[in-house]
Amino acid sequence: MNRFEYIKAPSIAEALDMMDSTVPEAMVQKTDGSARVVKAGGTDLLDLIKEGILEPGRLIDLKNIPGLDKLSFDKEKGLQFGPMVTIADLEKSKEVKQHYPALYQAAAHAATPQIRNMATMGGNLMQRPRCWYFRSNGHHCRKKGGTTCFAQIGQNQFHSIFLTNVCPCVHPSSLATALVAYDGKVELTGPEGKRVLPLSEFFTPSNVDVTCENVATNQEIITNIMLPPVQDSTRAHYIKQGQRESYDWSMGDVAVVLQMDGKKCRDARIVFGAAAPIPLRRESAEEVLKGKSINEKVIEQAAEKALEGATPLAYNGYKVHLFKTLLKRTIMEAAS
Amino acid sequence: MANPNKKKIVLPVAPDTEAHGPVKHLYSKKVKLPYGVPGHNLTEMEREVSIDEPPALPINEKLNVLGKRTKRVDAIYKVTGAAKYTADIQLPGMLFGKFLRSPHPHAIIKSLDVSAARRYPGVRAVHVLLMEPGGSVERDSGHDAPAETYNMDQLPRLRYVGQPIAAVAAESQYIANEAVKLIKVEYETKPFVLELDKARKKGAPIVFEEVIEDGGNEGDVGVKAADEQKGNLRGPTTGSFLGGPRGDVEKGFAEADFVLEKEYRTQVQTHCCLETHGVVADWQPDLLTVYASTQNTAGVRDDLAELFGLPKSKVRVITEYMGGGFGSKFGAGHFGVMATMLSKKAGRPVKLMLDREEEHLSAGNRPNSHQMLKMGFRNDGKITAIDLTSYGTAGVGLGAGVGRVAQDMYECPNFRTAQYDVFTHAGPGAAFRAPGNVQGVFALEQMIDEAAERLGMDPVKYRDLIDKHEVRKIQRMKGAEAFGWKYKKPGSDPGPIKRGFGMAQGHWTRFINLNSSATVRINKDGSVAIMSSVQDIGTGTKTILAQVVAEELGLMAEDITVKIGDTLYPDGPGSGGSVTAGSITPAVRNAAYKAKMELLGQVAGAWDVELSDLDMKNGEVFSKTDSSKKMSFGEATKKMRTNQVMATASRPDDYGGFEIGNGIGYGRLGSVQFAEVLVDTETGFIKVERVVAAHSCGRPLNPLQVESQINGGVIMGIGYALYEDRILDLNTGYQVNANLEQYKLPYSKEIPQIETVLIEHYGAFSSTDASGIGEPANIPTAGAIANAVYNAIGVRLYELPLTPQKVLAALGVS
Amino acid sequence: MKNDSKERSPEKKKQGVSRRAFLRGAGMTTAGTVALASGMLSFKPAEPAPAKTALMGPGETEVSLTVNGQQRTLWIEPRTTLADALREHLHLTGTKVVCDRGSCSACTVWVDGTPVNSCMTLAVDVDGREVTTVEGLAKDGELHPVQEAFIEHDASMCGFCTPGMVMSCAGLLERNPNPSLDDVKLATSGNLCRCGTYPKVFDATLAAAKKMK
Repeated sequence: MNRFEYIKAPSIAEALDMMDSTVPEAMVQKTDGSARVVKAGGTDLLDLIKEGILEPGRLIDLKNIPGLDKLSFDKEKGLQFGPMVTIADLEKSKEVKQHYPALYQAAAHAATPQIRNMATMGGNLMQRPRCWYFRSNGHHCRKKGGTTCFAQIGQNQFHSIFLTNVCPCVHPSSLATALVAYDGKVELTGPEGKRVLPLSEFFTPSNVDVTCENVATNQEIITNIMLPPVQDSTRAHYIKQGQRESYDWSMGDVAVVLQMDGKKCRDARIVFGAAAPIPLRRESAEEVLKGKSINEKVIEQAAEKALEGATPLAYNGYKVHLFKTLLKRTIMEAAS
Repeated sequence: MANPNKKKIVLPVAPDTEAHGPVKHLYSKKVKLPYGVPGHNLTEMEREVSIDEPPALPINEKLNVLGKRTKRVDAIYKVTGAAKYTADIQLPGMLFGKFLRSPHPHAIIKSLDVSAARRYPGVRAVHVLLMEPGGSVERDSGHDAPAETYNMDQLPRLRYVGQPIAAVAAESQYIANEAVKLIKVEYETKPFVLELDKARKKGAPIVFEEVIEDGGNEGDVGVKAADEQKGNLRGPTTGSFLGGPRGDVEKGFAEADFVLEKEYRTQVQTHCCLETHGVVADWQPDLLTVYASTQNTAGVRDDLAELFGLPKSKVRVITEYMGGGFGSKFGAGHFGVMATMLSKKAGRPVKLMLDREEEHLSAGNRPNSHQMLKMGFRNDGKITAIDLTSYGTAGVGLGAGVGRVAQDMYECPNFRTAQYDVFTHAGPGAAFRAPGNVQGVFALEQMIDEAAERLGMDPVKYRDLIDKHEVRKIQRMKGAEAFGWKYKKPGSDPGPIKRGFGMAQGHWTRFINLNSSATVRINKDGSVAIMSSVQDIGTGTKTILAQVVAEELGLMAEDITVKIGDTLYPDGPGSGGSVTAGSITPAVRNAAYKAKMELLGQVAGAWDVELSDLDMKNGEVFSKTDSSKKMSFGEATKKMRTNQVMATASRPDDYGGFEIGNGIGYGRLGSVQFAEVLVDTETGFIKVERVVAAHSCGRPLNPLQVESQINGGVIMGIGYALYEDRILDLNTGYQVNANLEQYKLPYSKEIPQIETVLIEHYGAFSSTDASGIGEPANIPTAGAIANAVYNAIGVRLYELPLTPQKVLAALGVS
Repeated sequence: MKNDSKERSPEKKKQGVSRRAFLRGAGMTTAGTVALASGMLSFKPAEPAPAKTALMGPGETEVSLTVNGQQRTLWIEPRTTLADALREHLHLTGTKVVCDRGSCSACTVWVDGTPVNSCMTLAVDVDGREVTTVEGLAKDGELHPVQEAFIEHDASMCGFCTPGMVMSCAGLLERNPNPSLDDVKLATSGNLCRCGTYPKVFDATLAAAKKMK
């Protein structure tokens, strides 16, 4: 762990003023130990620093900025929460559990209870992948500015089955799977003001930018996360499969949000987690469901469609079947 | 040439088989001891024993303290955080050490420069290893010249990622970590081989050009001769201390009605002790004191005394609390030697604890295995022949055999085995809870299951037919009853989630370590202390020792102070191989008995009665004939003529002698476990729902702790069966999951309902007649789970761990 | 929201600076700080420690927190984790570091009553907050019912995971006096035990809950 300075930012404006780097930047371009990066819960940041793959010059802590840990729900406006809301806050929220069950499920199955108490949603969306080569100080991989992807030629049992050509790490946030399925948006604040992006546009696949998983710049901080209101017709479910039921990363997780008119599906959003370097929407499978009554046959078709184009690696072919199963079960649960 | 792979024998599995002959006694007596299983075949056995031996203990039911569920005497210190482990030791002026380790699986160090590290502010000592570390023990006491740079002729070859090269000691852990990065090393990388199968092939990079002289015995199949090394292949070992091949295997197969021949594979498992390996070494001119996280304080002392040329009397090793070892914490270790060297150089105490990654890479592991098992069966169930060939790699270490279960568990006239060690460029293996035998059972017990199915027999009934072990028969019966065992047709559940039942058995030699001594001291104020170097590694040794003494003195366990884990006291055994309870408790009882006789003798003098008229019970000393003569224990000790009475005793030979040499007792420790699993055939996910574990450990001294040990063995077995796997990157030689995030261990939700069935079994072997339980608890679990998974899905899995990937592949869906 | 914080920040800054100036002015030289760091002196400010907005580090900086009900002041580098601050600076070694990455929860302490991993928390982050460690669970010499039940049910073996387990389980009972077996499993689902004490941890926690009623 390198030595660094630390300051508690009193406001977003001052935090923006002080920061000069994103974590990805600090790991590739600004590696001279001078990078000033913001810190939320710090669980991922500390992990990177302890591994020695991130050596920041200054941490700008956001914990003291008032209002960033607020969560509010309004039937008309939907759910809105600040970046300092913890995973445990989501897990404990009655509104989340009642109105956004897929998000609740994702929160309840993330990491450990202790980590859920510490990790914030802003940090969760910004966290770096868990690829074991990326996390290893002994492997200078593409994501860290190197030229080799060790996973493509190495141990890739937990890696992507989609968008594998540059860096097949999977996006680490299982909360994001549910947030994207709910068509969540993220508000980024910079010196010029705010911009709001759908989460599906927030994440960057590795074949677009291998060194960074999202579009936030070194002059932006997540200041809000918004989910649209749910309707009476909304049905949602989330399933995560780890090797263990206790603390474990996802081998595959699926969130499904359906708009149902009786038995008939009006609209659908299907998202895979741990399948690609981003939370991966499966529009082709959504199309299969739209306008149809949900039955086993339709679900089967959707599952087949959802896995079309998968390019599994040497050791993760099992994920194709796993995702089919998980998707079928998630749709079934959501629709029932 | 110095031996590059010198290893300590770390487990008493290759016992002292030299024939010293039984110890002779000037006076002996005959005692009648309980023998057999109460409720089944309990009888008495007359043994001729030394006149010094205490009277026979009756069965547990008739005792006050032993056999009773007794609270762990040190639990209060553990639940309040007061217990001080090696990792918690803080000494005045203490420095912190950090290793530089090899980043390459195979390389030559072309040059090494420590000058920048040495000059880094806060660094107080630097030490470079000039000899190759082998296994877990470093042999490098000779060098402490303060060189700045080293050339390749001086430095050992690097043979695995994580091999120690040098270390620094500094004022803080931060400084040490920073300084070690300043050591400049120029490497010349060499071709390497990591996989068991590839390392065996012609043309594979050779790990050791020279023949390794020592045998490794962690694989539990005996010592390998040095001349049996070709390329990366060592061996084969064709027998164990129980003997070599027997009968005529070919003839046996010819006589068989059917022959099963299968291949099984098991993975590398790392110990994952919660407290990492490490020491705090304090080199003083008159005494070297080492706080060590070890399973064998006396062993660490012996290592350090030998390596540093010190008399044993000038080395003190202390282990008051210890955070898990599971077989991997025996010798001084490369960290122990390094810390001592750094302390000697710096003139200050040095703490050197491995970090989590180092722990995975360099502190030992259970070697993997590739087993080819062939067995012949007659239609009446009789086994006609067993032929077992195995390959395994302990990396740069030795001892990857698969144990003795095939040789010794079932009756079979024709047996042959060839067990090979294969060198690879990976961290050294170490003993790991029932070394070899856990791997062996995974293969053997699945094949027995297959045979039972072929014969159309219930697996439990089939084992009744072929297994002559009396106690295990009772375990099967009681276990099956508790489990509600009934045979279920494999793969017969409808629907995607299928339930399965399976069982497997274990077999473990009853090892005794005669280097088991203890002192019992009774003070005038009525306090009582036990002293021995034996350590409590979490098994509850402190508590059973307190119980033994309390039973003898008529007190309660909490009345006894247990001072152990310090080599200033009489030598105790290392805690491994399930030897501890069976070895040290008779010594402690005998010492307590001697001290008690001394005390009673003094009281008898004071009361003017015969010594034989006095006894102790329920906290009182009393005359057996005159009820007016009694007093509390505390009053009685006030009658002592000196401030204390004290007696020391050592473990005598087993009553009735040993089966082999001076360490292999008669009677194997059997175990039987039943597992119920759910298999999701669409995700491949396996859940262990329930385990019934039927065990015996001679006289159970503290059923509460025995239960805990059995739970632990089962849970460790679940980890081995389903989750744990050291994953090496084949391109760089790194362990990609050298952490506790991706090296997957069972946590709370992976814990099934576990029911233990404890069979009290008396063998009339010693003054306590106790045995250990650590190994037996772990041996059958993975086999039982594998059989249950087969029973659920109707497809057999031959490779551990049983991951969702493998289940889906076996079912042919991915 | 923004205005509000801007108004508050200068005030905070001032307080932070003034307190450190006071310390220096009071002649707290190196020897004094060593004494503070090792917990031999207890320095009680007239008011709770204000959150600092001043730049700290990379060298040692002052952090004040309440540990087990006692106000403690430390001089530590910002990179110091709460686990290290407790273990190395306050000599509260009951809190264990096992994985050092938040994977095993052996280092669990409560910050303002909530169980967190002290190995993944910077000590500067808990400036001014209340930390409870396993050493502080017993009150007035009385063990916490979870501690008692752990002893009774043999829920510790080697004991290295025990402090973390105890803090997780006691934390559960603080939130939920009536837990089910599944609740206990959930509360300990981040706690690693290699010896296999889980079944007895479950029993002990359920028994403690019953006893607390």
